[in-house]
Amino acid sequence: MMRAAAAIAGLFALFAVPFWVIPAYDAEAAGFWQHIFVTIFVFAAMACAWNILGGFAGQLSLGQTIFYGIGGYAAALMNQHFGLIPWIGMFAGAAVSVVVAVLIAWPCLRLRGPFFTLSTIAFLEVIRLLAIHFKDWTGGSAGLPVPMFVGTELRIGWSWMLFREKENYLVIAFGLLVLALIASWLVRRSRLGFSLVAVREREDAARAVGINTTAVKLSAFAISAGLTSLVGSFHGIYLNFIDPETMFSLPTAIQVAMFALIGGLGTVSGPIWGTLLVVPIAEAARGWLGAGANGLHGLVYGVVLVAVVLTMPHGLVGSIGPWLRRRFGAARAVDPTRIAAPVTGDAIARPPIGPVILEAQGLTRRFGGLIATNDVSLTLREGEVLGVIGPNGAGKTTLFNLLSGFLPPSAGTLRVMMPDGSWVTPSAPHAFAAAGVARTFQIVQPFAGLSVLENVMLGAFHQTRSATEARRIAEEVATRCGLGALLLAEARSLTVGGAKRLEVARALAMGPRILLLDEVMAGLNPADVTAAVELVKAVRDSGVAVIAIEHVMAAIMAISDRIIVINSGRMIAEGTPDEIARNPAVIEAYLGEDYVHVAA
Amino acid sequence: MDILIQLIANGVLLGGVFALISIGLTLIFGIVRVVNFAHGELLMVGLYATWLLSAKLGIHPYLAAVPLAIAFFFLGALMQRAIIQPLMNADPHIQIFATVGIGTALANGALMIFSADLRSVDVPWARQATDLFGLASVSRGNLVAFAVSGIATTGLILFLRRTHLGRAIRAVAQNRYAAPLMGIDVNRIYAITFGIGAGCVGLAAAVLAPLYPAFPTVGSFFVLTAFVVVVLGGMGSLEGAVIGALIIGLVESLAGYYVAPDLKEVVYFLIFLGILIVRPAGLFGVRGAE
Repeated sequence: MMRAAAAIAGLFALFAVPFWVIPAYDAEAAGFWQHIFVTIFVFAAMACAWNILGGFAGQLSLGQTIFYGIGGYAAALMNQHFGLIPWIGMFAGAAVSVVVAVLIAWPCLRLRGPFFTLSTIAFLEVIRLLAIHFKDWTGGSAGLPVPMFVGTELRIGWSWMLFREKENYLVIAFGLLVLALIASWLVRRSRLGFSLVAVREREDAARAVGINTTAVKLSAFAISAGLTSLVGSFHGIYLNFIDPETMFSLPTAIQVAMFALIGGLGTVSGPIWGTLLVVPIAEAARGWLGAGANGLHGLVYGVVLVAVVLTMPHGLVGSIGPWLRRRFGAARAVDPTRIAAPVTGDAIARPPIGPVILEAQGLTRRFGGLIATNDVSLTLREGEVLGVIGPNGAGKTTLFNLLSGFLPPSAGTLRVMMPDGSWVTPSAPHAFAAAGVARTFQIVQPFAGLSVLENVMLGAFHQTRSATEARRIAEEVATRCGLGALLLAEARSLTVGGAKRLEVARALAMGPRILLLDEVMAGLNPADVTAAVELVKAVRDSGVAVIAIEHVMAAIMAISDRIIVINSGRMIAEGTPDEIARNPAVIEAYLGEDYVHVAA
Repeated sequence: MDILIQLIANGVLLGGVFALISIGLTLIFGIVRVVNFAHGELLMVGLYATWLLSAKLGIHPYLAAVPLAIAFFFLGALMQRAIIQPLMNADPHIQIFATVGIGTALANGALMIFSADLRSVDVPWARQATDLFGLASVSRGNLVAFAVSGIATTGLILFLRRTHLGRAIRAVAQNRYAAPLMGIDVNRIYAITFGIGAGCVGLAAAVLAPLYPAFPTVGSFFVLTAFVVVVLGGMGSLEGAVIGALIIGLVESLAGYYVAPDLKEVVYFLIFLGILIVRPAGLFGVRGAE
């Protein structure tokens, strides 16, 4: 509540300064200052929009001026050709931008890191060059003026978005900034926002909790493009002139991104702070060195950017915020070793083992000449625990990747029964999640920068759209898994035992019917193993079917109803724990053939 | 037919120019694993430096080539030490922003100092056309640039293959965690590699100065082409960069004539996007590098 009030007061002040304070103080210079504030609002709005894609989703696009340009041209061309007011052109432009964004993003988003960035730059260049080439539409390099007169009609006033007084521009620019800020705030708090951050932090884990990573990145791209386009429409009219060099400008795209980075990537208010810091510094430097100093802006931007990257890579908000909290003790330090025993509750009667709910036939996976999984068939029944054992390199994790959609099988079929009794064959990780299959990773994959609670919430978002509900489920599941005291700890600070527990909690929060556990007990001390065994039993008793890969023999023998043994990609044995312990083929695989007689 | 031969000759020579600029970029990416977005601005600085040496001190650009390459080696090594080294373990986006920041500062610094005017080095000899076996007519400056490009690339490849330092550099590229176990000072290798990459740019600037004027944004013109070349050839592959450069040179020359002069860049950017999307590792790159 306090924070919301402070944010609204701050925004009001930001508007009041150029609108009332400066004109009252110095009416002569008001026009100049109002121009600067329009620029600040426009860039801050674009930086907020960029941040949804670049900050939340971590997709560093340097081509966002594509949409700024489309917005500018859409409003200007619809005005010129159809006499439409820019308020209509603006939204038409945003619609076009969203479509173009999806078309561009679909191929670009397959690339990662600098390659994604390069592809967005390339699209920007192509569109700029095309805009120059198709002179009949765009006026080419000569540009298009935004006319005040059409014939004798004076097109000025609110409907045409053209004014003689700068105050009105200030109102619209501020409105766009507030719009971008609200959009960014809503996204950050929503399931989409959490999903974007999950994708940024660790894409594989995001897929495991059922996030359709392509779809959420596309959404971020589209939202960002639509907002940027609205700003572009306005700014084109404000500048009274549009041409391909200014509208589809790479330096502008870079500036917008750098404002967001300087302020703090992935924070809601960061882009505004970044713009507010850098634009005035550049203007002040221009004041000292004279208006003739061309290039000074850019020099200041570049130097500030390098300085920020070197000294506070999390930006102003991301670095100063935590410092303030430490300084004034809002957040208490959490001891990351405080893992409690899992809360297994009253022992409920174990439900009977039900019908088959997962069935794999002849699963095979080849990597070049290597056959990592060779003709494996297995079934899993409701309420059953199926253990998977085998020597190192036997292909157990590959089997899990096949069972959870992380790898497509080279041959074989796999089907999962839905609650209504129908059978589905999911193809991607998020489809497996939708079918009720959740998994953990052998090498833990926490969303390292997020808290334990947020990690588990990302699992819970699979069940609900509401953040409040997700938080409730997450708190409940985390407590059940013994992480109740660590809800606010950063995931990266957890011990191995804690991180393994977090893997389980995140998967459980998805509310799965089938849980794949990949070595959740490896590397744990004996007390933690005992606790983990109890946890798996409790999960089983709640009606979830479990497939567990494990090297800790005592544990796997204790929890499994059935065990399958894999060696060199093949299933060499299947049976109850007792049968498996006596099986000569299994002893041979683990200990070598010399030991077979000993056991016999 | 004549015009086609002429276009091919132009394209191949242009490819030589692109190769000279691209090998430094691909070397830095291949070894240091950083995409240097300030690469073009380094070239811009080099072009201005050559212009100053030539116009103010009367030094012939070709004489300035080797000293400039050495000076740029130290400039690059310094840039790596001061700005890139502290960020070696940072997220890729932080590294991108750092080099983008350097590039922005350099381009705008040049705009402040030299204004937006074109500064040309006047070497009449380099502008004269020479006859190529009676088939095509090309400028001497272009031939020199092509020859220097060939020598520099061959030299660099031999250096990496045959010398101890070259092997150490390749070892770091193979596995930056295993290399120090073999007694290689990885951070020193990074600084040297960045230096060599920048040195190639210094050499390129001196050789290209008679052909291209210096202006503050000349870097972004060349660097975008260099990115296309490097991605086409495969990030980190020197041989790939040379072949990529020749392809892009030919595309630019042919598309400029057969498609439209102002769309030639569109053609190779579309090739670029196609390569990124279909085979991001490039023609000669190692899969997975993307």
